[in-house]
Formats: sequence, structure tokens, C-alpha cells
Amino acid sequence: MSVTSKVISFSQDLRERNVKVMLLAMIIAVATVATINAFADHLQRTLMTSASGFLAADRQLNSRTNAPIPEAWYAEAINQGLEVGRMVEFGTMVSNETQFQLVAIKAVDNAYPLRGELEWQANLDGDRETITSGPKPGEVWLNPRLMRLLELQPGDSLEVGATTLKVSGVIVREPDGGFRLSDLAPRVMMHIDDVAATEVIQPGSRVRHRGLFAGNSAALADFESWLEPQLTENYRWINVRQGETLGESLDKAEGFLLLGGSLAVLLAVVAIAVASRQYALSQRDRVALLKTMGLTGKRIRKLYISRLVVWGLISTLIGLMLAIPAAWLLASMTAQLMDQPLQFEVDFWQLWPAILTALVALFAFAYPPIDRLRNTPAMRVFRSLPSNDSSALAKDLLLAVVVIFGLLWVYVNDIVLVMALLGAVIALVVSLAIAGAGLIWILRRFPAGKGSWRLAVIALYRHRNATLSQMSVFAMTIMLAATLILVRSSLLADWQAQLPEDAPNHFLLNIAPESVDEVEAFFNQHQINRSPLYPIIRGRLTEINSQPAVEVALNKDDDELRRELNLTISDSYPDDNQVIAGQWFEADETKGLSIEQSLAESLGVEVGDELGFTVGAEKITATITSIRSVQWDSMRPNFFLIFPPKGAIDGLPSTSLTSFYLAEQDKQLLNDFVRQFPTISVLEIDHIIERIQQIIRQVTQAVEAILVMILLAAIAVMVAVVSATMSERQREGALLRTIGGQQRLLVRATMLEFALIGFLAGILGVLAAEIAVWALQYRMFDGEFRWHWPVVLSMPFISAVILAILGRWQLTPVLTVSPMLLLRRLE
Amino acid sequence: MSTDRQPNPSNDFMIEVQNLSHSVDLGTDSLTILQQVNLSIGKGESAAIVGRSGSGKTTLLGLLAGLDLPTSGTVHLDGHLISALSEDERASLRSRRVGFVFQSFQLLPTLSAIENVMLPIELAGLPDARSKAEGLLDRVGLAERMQHTPRQLSGGEQQRVAIARAFAVDPQVLFADEPTGNLDTRTGEAITELLMTLNREQGTTLVMVTHDQQLADRCQRHFVIEAGVLHEKQSDKQTVTAA
Repeated sequence: MSVTSKVISFSQDLRERNVKVMLLAMIIAVATVATINAFADHLQRTLMTSASGFLAADRQLNSRTNAPIPEAWYAEAINQGLEVGRMVEFGTMVSNETQFQLVAIKAVDNAYPLRGELEWQANLDGDRETITSGPKPGEVWLNPRLMRLLELQPGDSLEVGATTLKVSGVIVREPDGGFRLSDLAPRVMMHIDDVAATEVIQPGSRVRHRGLFAGNSAALADFESWLEPQLTENYRWINVRQGETLGESLDKAEGFLLLGGSLAVLLAVVAIAVASRQYALSQRDRVALLKTMGLTGKRIRKLYISRLVVWGLISTLIGLMLAIPAAWLLASMTAQLMDQPLQFEVDFWQLWPAILTALVALFAFAYPPIDRLRNTPAMRVFRSLPSNDSSALAKDLLLAVVVIFGLLWVYVNDIVLVMALLGAVIALVVSLAIAGAGLIWILRRFPAGKGSWRLAVIALYRHRNATLSQMSVFAMTIMLAATLILVRSSLLADWQAQLPEDAPNHFLLNIAPESVDEVEAFFNQHQINRSPLYPIIRGRLTEINSQPAVEVALNKDDDELRRELNLTISDSYPDDNQVIAGQWFEADETKGLSIEQSLAESLGVEVGDELGFTVGAEKITATITSIRSVQWDSMRPNFFLIFPPKGAIDGLPSTSLTSFYLAEQDKQLLNDFVRQFPTISVLEIDHIIERIQQIIRQVTQAVEAILVMILLAAIAVMVAVVSATMSERQREGALLRTIGGQQRLLVRATMLEFALIGFLAGILGVLAAEIAVWALQYRMFDGEFRWHWPVVLSMPFISAVILAILGRWQLTPVLTVSPMLLLRRLE
Repeated sequence: MSTDRQPNPSNDFMIEVQNLSHSVDLGTDSLTILQQVNLSIGKGESAAIVGRSGSGKTTLLGLLAGLDLPTSGTVHLDGHLISALSEDERASLRSRRVGFVFQSFQLLPTLSAIENVMLPIELAGLPDARSKAEGLLDRVGLAERMQHTPRQLSGGEQQRVAIARAFAVDPQVLFADEPTGNLDTRTGEAITELLMTLNREQGTTLVMVTHDQQLADRCQRHFVIEAGVLHEKQSDKQTVTAA
């Protein structure tokens, strides 16, 4: 190797502190971005797989009419390597020869369920078993209530339409049971091959066909793009996300991961920008010397750019090599919470944002100051000259803003998130400039005090440029960390509030008025708390403004026009509903009615329109006085239509609905309950809640892990920045000791100086974080803005302490090595 | 790049300065550092520029070497009009014709002694860098310490490496900025001796900035700079040193 290339060869580079800092920053940057990306991708796949049980498949294709799903579609799915399953749902009467009962039939094929499990009992008193297939042809499973209502035992026969099937078990729980309070009819599960023999399905019957599809994501995507152009409005292609229960939780988790990733990118960029600027500054003497030896600007640029390329390659490689085991570690941590953990895989597409970050950061942030090195005046060999690069700084800053914007845009593709972060960064830069100028002004006028305080203030003023640039980096770092802490807290609080540990996980439907007291007694006896009773009156929506509803509704095919709806009476609306039009009921309201937003839209009705219902033999009318938004995934009782206590349906025959929490170990009580109250339907949603809570636990852990990673990266950045000016500070420390400065004075002054920087940076950073969170809150996490006092108040102190410790750390050689040795070493 | 553009044919001087003035911009004010400097130094001559701290002597040295351009006036270096060359052209001119010795040695701390000497040879694209550097280090008495890094060498030894480096490309002109400024008297004398001997042997033009009168006295020409104004001092020892 020639000496020329050795002047700035890689091994030489490694002896330079600033290069080490820059490389470290790059490695942290690449590793953090790659880890978060690979892990987020893994988590997303895990969550989707874990949640796909809710559909009994990865995707469902639902018909909205009686038309079955074309066989050609199944054939194509199989052709693309997918597993398929067929399912038919319809309502009909069944009988045990003496009694008839309206039931909800689900007919499944041998493949059902493609995902998730069934819970089944051999007889009413048997143990619950977990199985992965439905009934065989000729057999039928009934839910416990139906078994009791019809007084059937396994082995008995059940007439379903024109055919007779053998009762072979009790279906306790199906994976895709969902959460539909409207399905009051008890469940019967049979084999799809027996459906034709029942002769129940006639033209005009209400039948729903569902296709189940499962397979790897590539095959699913291929099939999806093949299928999409052929889908008419009569079919609905559903993934877990569009399922009722999980969409929002997954969206928020994903939003958080993206936010974490973007913050990692920003942090990385800041670190690289600072380190490369320091590096460029430290190289000026060398460049000046090389110029006296006749090295031209062109060759200087070539030398340094080749360094950048080598550094970029090496640090990217090391970063990626660290990221893969780190992501694997995170994945295996969350795997402990899973029943069936997913294999961790990495592919290039998860890593490219990290590589892109490294490239862009290197060339947009490290390149400009290094490129400007070739303009270093050769006269610098004689004496250091003031560098006149304020215009360059402005240009760099503009470039930085554009590049950060572009990078975030590529990374998250969400304008609000990008603007929120960018806005906060700009606000931070502006307030830093103002605060910095103010600080310098104050320091210049009040260098008062004595001892270590005076020394600290003097040092701050003397290093004012370094102080300001360090403060900017610290403030930025604190802003990013605080943003993540704040978002995490509100996200977790949100989830906790949505589904507390003792959230009601069972619903009782069909409680007859005469049973209410007995149910009450049963609950008291077993010390179970239940929610208030909601009266349920079943009625059909028949008229809109005195016209037949099926003719004038905007969406004439709406299912809600073709079945009985649950009408309820209440003087207040559920906490998570919001009145978005009109007014909630006055105290003595008699005419009014509150309707759910999507139903109102589907019907094409507004406040002031009159709806007519048939309830049994009665016809009633009521005027819409309010429209509500409803959180259907809240797992709480929710209703399309609410009437006031003295309103139109008051006094009509009703049943009641309530909900309660039952722990897993108390499940046996349900059998007693069902035996005692055979006519009351029990809807078990504990498995749905459990699954959602499991997902929330996983995401929470992931969120915590990412937070820890970002905080570690933030501290690494701070260390990097502090160590960038370390030798200068050490030299000063050694000089102070040489002229008789006491160790204690030195330690106090240094810690005080750093604590002051940390405190100011903490205040600015946390305020900028509040701005970012304020902007993010609305868009991504649906919260309301409020000051986060604990964080706002504690952050400046925490950052002061961290920086004071860092200041003490960088002073260590000054205290342990003799000043003479140190001065010589630093020469 | 046209470092080979035609030198001024009428010029036998290595350095010729006419009406050179230099000032620096201090924002609202400008500070005049050099005023109406005229000087010419012949090929192979040695010249000392003496003056107090802040008198402008180092600035003048930088301008003579083409490290910076004067505010007004002209500098010819080996017949080339410095102000007509771009920065890169000036750099190329330096790479083969100019050597430097600095007060603070300016060795690259990460390179060994021999690598520091090889560096300008390689930058100038000359062959046999290693053997040439070895010869020079031997010549300055550091044959045993070639692999040492600057930190492992004393001040005098570092300046010897710097001198070996300055002569590495057989420069036609050597600029020295307070070469003994950071050294004790005895070491300083030894370095002076070495510098003068090499200079004589190689027939190099030497321009040296110093405030060491003894060192200045060993040069053929003796300039004094005071508050930016240069005048030549007629030395009685001139004949002695020239002999």
C-alpha cells in the first residue's frame, strides 16, 4: 500500500477519534433501522398469523347475496398454491320430532378451519377438547343451549330440513365466532356435503357463502391481485385487518413501529451529521499540509470520497450483521408469549431501508463538510484561520431538511407523520437558535458566581460554538426519545383502557323479564359482577319517512333491512360512542331515536327523518334526533338503534342483555348457568379478548424493546458527540490541573457545565417532543392533546444527570493520568 | 493544468515580488498586513526574513510559496506568475519545486518517520520513494528510527524528519517557518547546521522566517519586516556566509 493511501487509509482512520465516532454512529444507525425494520416485519407477520384464527383462515371471501362463490376462483387459488375451504351459513328450523327451534347453521367442509381451533365436548358434561376439524358428513354438533332446549344427547337424531343427522358432539367455541350480538339463534354445525339433502336452500332463502383461503403471503398476494378485478360488490374479500375486532389495534401497533423506525433514522442522521462535521474540522490541518506538498483539490476530494465509500460499506455491513441477531433476539422474546411462534426470517427487502439510510446519511450529511475540506486554505499550516462557512451551514441545513423529508417519506409514506416530525425538528432548530443566542448573551454579561460555577459558565461561553452544536444534538436526541416515550405511554394507556384485564368476556342474551330476578340471584350467589341490563326489543326496520324502507333506502341490499334488529332503551349512550349529529335525548324525550353512523349512511337518512318499525304485531315510528359513531371493536354492548326511556318502544315486550367477566378457572359455572337457564344465550368472547390481549402484550413488549433500542441509540449518540470534543476538553483539564486546579473543582465544574447543557437541551427537546406528539396524536393514535407533566418536568433533569455523568466520564483520564503525560499524549 | 506554461523568460530570479500588499477583511474594517513589498531572490540564494511576532513575516512566506494570493501586486515563483494560476495549478507547482519546514514540524502523527518522508515523493509521482526516503533519513541521522511515529521522537528528531521530508522531492526552493522556534538552543543549532548543509549540497533556494538572529546571520540575504514594511539589511557577514 502506498503511503498516500495510508495517509487516510482505513486502519489510519480507525486511530482517529472522530472517525471512530462517525463509524459508530453509522453502525448504530444501520443496526437500529435494520433491526426495527426486520423485527417490525416479523411482528406484523406474527400478528397477522396469530389473528388469522379470527377468520379461520388468512383471508375470507364472503358473498353478500345467495350466489355461491364461483368454483373457478377456488381452482385458481389451489393453482396458486393456497389451501381453500368452503363454508355456508343459513338460518332454519330444526327439530327433535317433538320440538322445533330456529337455529343458525354453519356448514363446513373437511378443510375447516384452515387457521385456529374449535372447542368441542363429547357430551354436555364432558371436558372441553381442542380440535382442528368440523363434523363428518352425516353428523351434527349443537351448542350447549340447543342441546338442552331440545333435550338431546349425543347419538340422538336431529332433523334438519329434509334430512336427519346424528348428533355427535357439543360445539362450545368456533374460531371465527366473532362478536355478533345479533346472532341470537343457537349454533348448529354440520358438514357442507349434507346441505343439499336438507333442501332448505331455496331461491330467496337467506344464505351466505364464505370461502376460506390460507397460504404464504406471496401466494395470497398473487391470488389477491388475480381476484380483485373480478370482485363485484356482491363479494367481500376480508383480511384480519378488516375483521371487526383487530384492525385498529394492529394499525396502531404498526404506526408505532413506523414511528420508532423513523425516529431511529432521524437519530442516525443527526449522529452522522455531527460526527462527520467534527471529522472534517479535525482534518483541516492535514489537508492544509497536503496542499503545501502540492496535492490538488481534485485529488483531496478523491481521497476523502473513497474513504466515505469504504466507511459506508464497512459500517453498513457491520450494522446489518448486528441487526440480524438483534431482531432475532427481539423476535424470540415475543415468541415466548405466543402459542405458535412464527419462524424468524430475514430477507433483503427488510434491510434496504437501513442501507438507504446509510447511503443517504453518508452522502447528504457526511459528504458536504468533507467535500469542503478541499477549500481549506493552505495557509492553515502556519496558523489556524477562522472558517467562514456560515453560508455553507445554511446550505447544509436546507439540504438536511429536504433529505430528511425524502428519507422519512420513503420510509413511512405518511405525510402527517413526516410533517409532524419535520415540524418539530424545525421548531426545535428555531428555538435552539433563539435560546442559543439568549444563552450566549446571558453568559457574556453574567460570568458571575465563584468556584466551580464560575468555571462552568466560563467554559460554556468559551466553547460557545461547540456548546450550541452539542446542545442542538442533545435537544434533538431528547426530542426523539421523549416523543417515543410519550407516544408509547399514551398508546399503552389507550389499549389498557380499551381492554382492561377484567373486561367483560361473556354476554348473556335473551334474558326473559321473569328470569331477571333468578339471574340476579345466581350472580350474587357466585359473587360475579355484571354490567347493567340493556332491554332488547327485536324489531324490523320497515319504513323511512312513511315509505317502504327496502325501496327508498340508499343501499337497498343492506342486511339490516332484511333481519330483525336489536332495539334498546337507554337514557345515556356508551362511553366510547360519540354523537356526531343532532342532540342526545332531552330528559322527557318521547319521539326520538339515536342511530349508528354507518347504518344512517347506508339507509341515506339524517337527523329529522322518521323511521318506522314492526315489533311483533305493533308498528311504531320515531324521528332521528341523533347520529352516533360506535366503536364496534370495543367488545362492549353496542347498538345500532337506541330509544329514550319514555320513547316509542317503551313498554313493548323485551328481553335483556348483560355482560360480565368470568375468569378461566370459573368457566365451570357456565355449565351450571346454562343448565339452570336453558333459554338464555351465552356468548363467550373470552377467547377473542384473550387473543387481543395476547397481541397487545406482544406489541407492548415490542414497543418497549424498540423504545429501549432507541434510548440506547440516543445515549450512544450523546456519547459520540461528547467524545468528539473530548481531546480538546482533556487538554484544558490537564492545563487546569497543571496550573493548580484541584480535582474536585475540575470535576464539579465539568459536571456542572454538562448538566447545564443537558438541562437546557432537555427543556427544548421535551417541548419539541410535545409538538411532535401533539401532531401525531390526532392522526395516528387518536388521542387528545394534553401536557405530559411528568415527562416534561423530569426530562430536563434526567438529561442533565446523563450529561453530567458523560462529562465526568470524559474527564477520567485527566484525573487519573499525570497532566504532563496527558498533554504529551494529546499533542 | 498548465504549470508548464511559459515562465517569464526575462527572469533569473527564483522569487520576484513587485508592489505586494496584503490585507485581511475584518468585517467592517480591513487590516493591512503587508505594504508595498518588493523583493527578489536569486536561484540558489538563501534569505532570512526577520521580524517580531505579528510583523507579517509568516504571511509573506505563505504568499511567496503561493499558499495564498496577495491583495495587490505580483509574485513570480520560478518564473510563474502566482496570481495567474488556479489553486490546483499552484498546488502542482509546489509538488515538485517547493519544500516546507514548519515551526511545529507538522508531521502526520499516524505515519512513521519514513512514511512521512515518502509522502511528498509519492504525491509528486516520483519513483523509488522508499529508498530515497531511507537515504534522506540516514542523512539527517535517523537511520535507526525510521519506523518510529512522531510521538515516539523528540522535538529535534521530529524536525529532522521534517527536514528530510522537505528535501524529499529535490525542491528548487525551500520555505522554512521558524524551523528552530520550538527547539532548545543546542538542538536548534544542530538543526540549523543540517538545514544549511543540505541547502548548500542540493543548491536549493532557501527562504526562512525567523526571529533567531544567529540563524538569520547564516543566510546570504537578510530582510527585516516591521509593521508590514520590508527592507533589506546589508549584512557584513554576507561575504563570510557566501564563501
